[in-house]
Amino acid sequence: MTAMPETVMAVRDLDFAYRTGGRWLKVLDSVSIEIREGEVLGLVGESGCGKSTLAYTLLGYLRSNARVSRGEVLYRGDNVLAMNRTQLDRLRGHRISLVPQNPTTALSPHLRVGRQIAEVLLQHRAVATEDAANDAIVNLFGLVGLPDPERLIRRYPHQLSGGQQQRVCIAMALACDPDLLILDEPTTGLDVTTQSQIISLLADLRQRLGMAMLYVTHDLGVLAQIADRVGVMYAGHMVEVAPVGVLFDAPRHPYTQGLIASVPTVEVEKPVVHALKGLLRRDELPAGCPFQPRCGFAEPSCADDRQTLESIDGGHQVACQRWRAIAPELPTGEDEPHATSVTSGAPLFRFDAVSLSYGGGTMWKRFLESDPIVVVRDVSFDLQPGETLALVGESGSGKSTIARAAAGLLSPIAGGIAFKGEPLPPRVEQRSRAQRREVQFIFQNPDASLNPRARVDQMLARPLAMFFGLARDEIRDRTKQALHDVRLDASYARRFPDELSGGERQRVAIARALVADPQLLLCDEILSALDVSVQANIITLLRRLQAETNVAMLFISHDLAVVRNLAHKVAVLYHGQIMETGDVDELFAPPFHPYTHALLLAVPSIRHRKRKAAPRTEILGAPNNTGCAFAGRCPWQVGAICEEQDPPWRDSGRSNRIRCHHTVDDLQRLAILGIDGPPVSDALHPPNTPKEVT
Amino acid sequence: MSSLDGPATRPNPIARLASLWWRSPQSLKIGSAILVFWVVVAVLGTLWIPYGYAQIRTGLPLEGMSWGHPFGTDQLGRDVFSRVLYGAHIVILLSFAGTVFGLVVGATIGLISAYIGGWLDEVVQRLAEAFIAIPFLVLALLAVATAGPELSGEPGLVIFVVALVYTPRIARMARAAALDIITRDFVTIAKLRGESAWSVMRRELLPNTTGTLLVEFSLRAGYAPALIGALGFLGFGIKAPMPEWGLLISENRALVLIQPITVIGPGLALASLIVGLNMFTEGLARILGRTVRLGER
Repeated sequence: MTAMPETVMAVRDLDFAYRTGGRWLKVLDSVSIEIREGEVLGLVGESGCGKSTLAYTLLGYLRSNARVSRGEVLYRGDNVLAMNRTQLDRLRGHRISLVPQNPTTALSPHLRVGRQIAEVLLQHRAVATEDAANDAIVNLFGLVGLPDPERLIRRYPHQLSGGQQQRVCIAMALACDPDLLILDEPTTGLDVTTQSQIISLLADLRQRLGMAMLYVTHDLGVLAQIADRVGVMYAGHMVEVAPVGVLFDAPRHPYTQGLIASVPTVEVEKPVVHALKGLLRRDELPAGCPFQPRCGFAEPSCADDRQTLESIDGGHQVACQRWRAIAPELPTGEDEPHATSVTSGAPLFRFDAVSLSYGGGTMWKRFLESDPIVVVRDVSFDLQPGETLALVGESGSGKSTIARAAAGLLSPIAGGIAFKGEPLPPRVEQRSRAQRREVQFIFQNPDASLNPRARVDQMLARPLAMFFGLARDEIRDRTKQALHDVRLDASYARRFPDELSGGERQRVAIARALVADPQLLLCDEILSALDVSVQANIITLLRRLQAETNVAMLFISHDLAVVRNLAHKVAVLYHGQIMETGDVDELFAPPFHPYTHALLLAVPSIRHRKRKAAPRTEILGAPNNTGCAFAGRCPWQVGAICEEQDPPWRDSGRSNRIRCHHTVDDLQRLAILGIDGPPVSDALHPPNTPKEVT
Repeated sequence: MSSLDGPATRPNPIARLASLWWRSPQSLKIGSAILVFWVVVAVLGTLWIPYGYAQIRTGLPLEGMSWGHPFGTDQLGRDVFSRVLYGAHIVILLSFAGTVFGLVVGATIGLISAYIGGWLDEVVQRLAEAFIAIPFLVLALLAVATAGPELSGEPGLVIFVVALVYTPRIARMARAAALDIITRDFVTIAKLRGESAWSVMRRELLPNTTGTLLVEFSLRAGYAPALIGALGFLGFGIKAPMPEWGLLISENRALVLIQPITVIGPGLALASLIVGLNMFTEGLARILGRTVRLGER
């Protein structure tokens, strides 16, 4: 190794607190980090661990209710926290810049995107004139892989896709050629394929520009692709810092081990997630190691002795007094029962050539307005009792629309839905009480699906009273039982939703669905609002509940790894059409539908690390009305036939069916990703040049 | 906030109220103090006033300020101070009753209109707009005129008029608040369960609109004394000799140059009540706005 690169940014012994409810709440507890020239430092941890606070503190950003009681933040030796307004203005956006989590809210909706970047350039005197700014922006857009920059700079944010908006935000952050780029969960709101493109772009940018980055995320898979070193945070403490390879191969801190083990993966043959036990409770933190209450290796003195980062070797630091006693490997938990006894009798639930659209409705509206846009076309599947069918696809693929139709919120414009062998009325109002009881819906966001003004027991009591007409005592017993079933303490019964954590809220939502004793659960992205360790808990819970109650699940998700861990069967949707369907294990093995293949390639994985800087241009194609919906985006396109004729269903010879013009043998040959195949290499990235947006 | 504090450390209700009070905005504290003062006056004023409210010749007519008659005396020698104190409960009761009436009717209409939607919503909203388009005093006078001379001066009529003016305004506010709630998933869950419209409104919508409605209520209650005063001033409110404040100002308006205190006294009373109510409302809105936002997160 040559001489150590210079340190760009250093945080030393930072203590940080927020004032809430009349008390000071410690968010960071003597945290130290160092970012060197050209280095990507990843920060990972569950929500509320203080990682974003740390990131914003690097910018010298303190909310009015915040306090730094100790420590300093040094940019090339100058303390950022001691700077005045003018000095900060010169620093922010110029030497240190930020890529925010949500580009939609980060861009001003009424300014053209070019204008917004020009403001940054002119503010920091990076260019002298508007014309020069324009030229600079065109260059920047080229740099971040936005096609047709001259036209794009005149667009408003809402005219761009989410991925394009994030590229604009990155261009804005790069405008003044900063020394340090702070990325706060920059891909969290994006589709998996878009996320993979953005990460490739960032990898490419850092190769070419050599700038340092601080990448804040909750997603270990993303960090595996891009970071050099990773800092793991827990409850405001830095518990482990290590080079990325060391961290994933030989994690030392029990929390890191648990965190890595709870990440569901797509690769393993029989994947099992291992949940971290317990929950982070800010009010129950011991004086010593914050992780002690949840730690399997803890000894009594852990609760009292402060843990400080201790060097193990070669830049690997861990804050655990027992690290010598802990093997650097992932914990193996108990194997949860995965309900496999799926009978192949009469299906419980069946979608038969269903097409769905929004904005149809009455004759009058059809007469006045143009044809409604069909969002789901000709979708068929069936579900056995006790079986889980996962619907996967990017946003806009019609997954949630299918769930809404199944729940009776949307009438099909063609096709029929059958439940227990009988046709299910399309609208919930027409369904019988028993049908309403037996089909239960769980929403994505528990914040919105729980009435904030109702207590937990009231929410659980309502379905019991409605569907079973139980007396008060029985309701109380069943409520208690339901809370126990979802592993919540009985004392939660009298709480309001805002007194629960996100994972606990989702458990309540699951309990509310389960008290109705349903036969079919419609789960609409129920894990995507939750932290990865909480996700693992809920996956375990759902499997156990399914084994106990034999409930069937229609599980909607964009996360293939979660699907692999939970589902029996999978249907891959693209623009409202099923592209591939089959048993979960078959789906993850070749042959693949080209779209399935693209999705799998895009999944950031902690096993296949270090994505090479790859295609910089936005891949995007308009869905076709004729032929294959995926034709415009397909890397393996056969030819004109794809855009002209509907592809046929092809049987793989095993349980899955693929809708493609390629033969199964061709698809088998084209597939470059086996289950335990080689890491994705540069040469294996999309063989054909992706189509650019025009 | 509570999730950060942790559910385990929930203080007892009294301590919570106390801490809420100490953290509440200044306007709420001042407003509450003024309101408490007037409520005490309204209760005690009927029991204890220096002179009867209709007692004539308590002193010389048209006396100025003095210890015996802080607000002077009117043409009949009635003690204006006693009349103002006695009038407090009339003004407060009428305002309160009228606003509650308007709130109940308005909120019901608003919630139904929002939940049922469709053409019913259209019709109700156009009607409400038509009512709001009429200046409130004109609307009030129309209502009083329609009621006819037999009912004129009855407290019930004044309450009805206040409610009539407020109902469409409150209905619109309730509808707007409910429309925001209706799109939330927990309402969809209730619909999927097959809950009746009434049940959804009572269990899901109403509890989540109380914050908005509470602020709307105290805002409207803050204007009610002015509305009642205006009616009284024009002679369409409570009948003499009941010392309603607007009526009092109207009766004494000829004396404004001779003994200004006889007009300024009741005017100050009316103004301080309205200012108190409005400061209270402003503080309440800030508190609720704060907690509501935190609740939604």
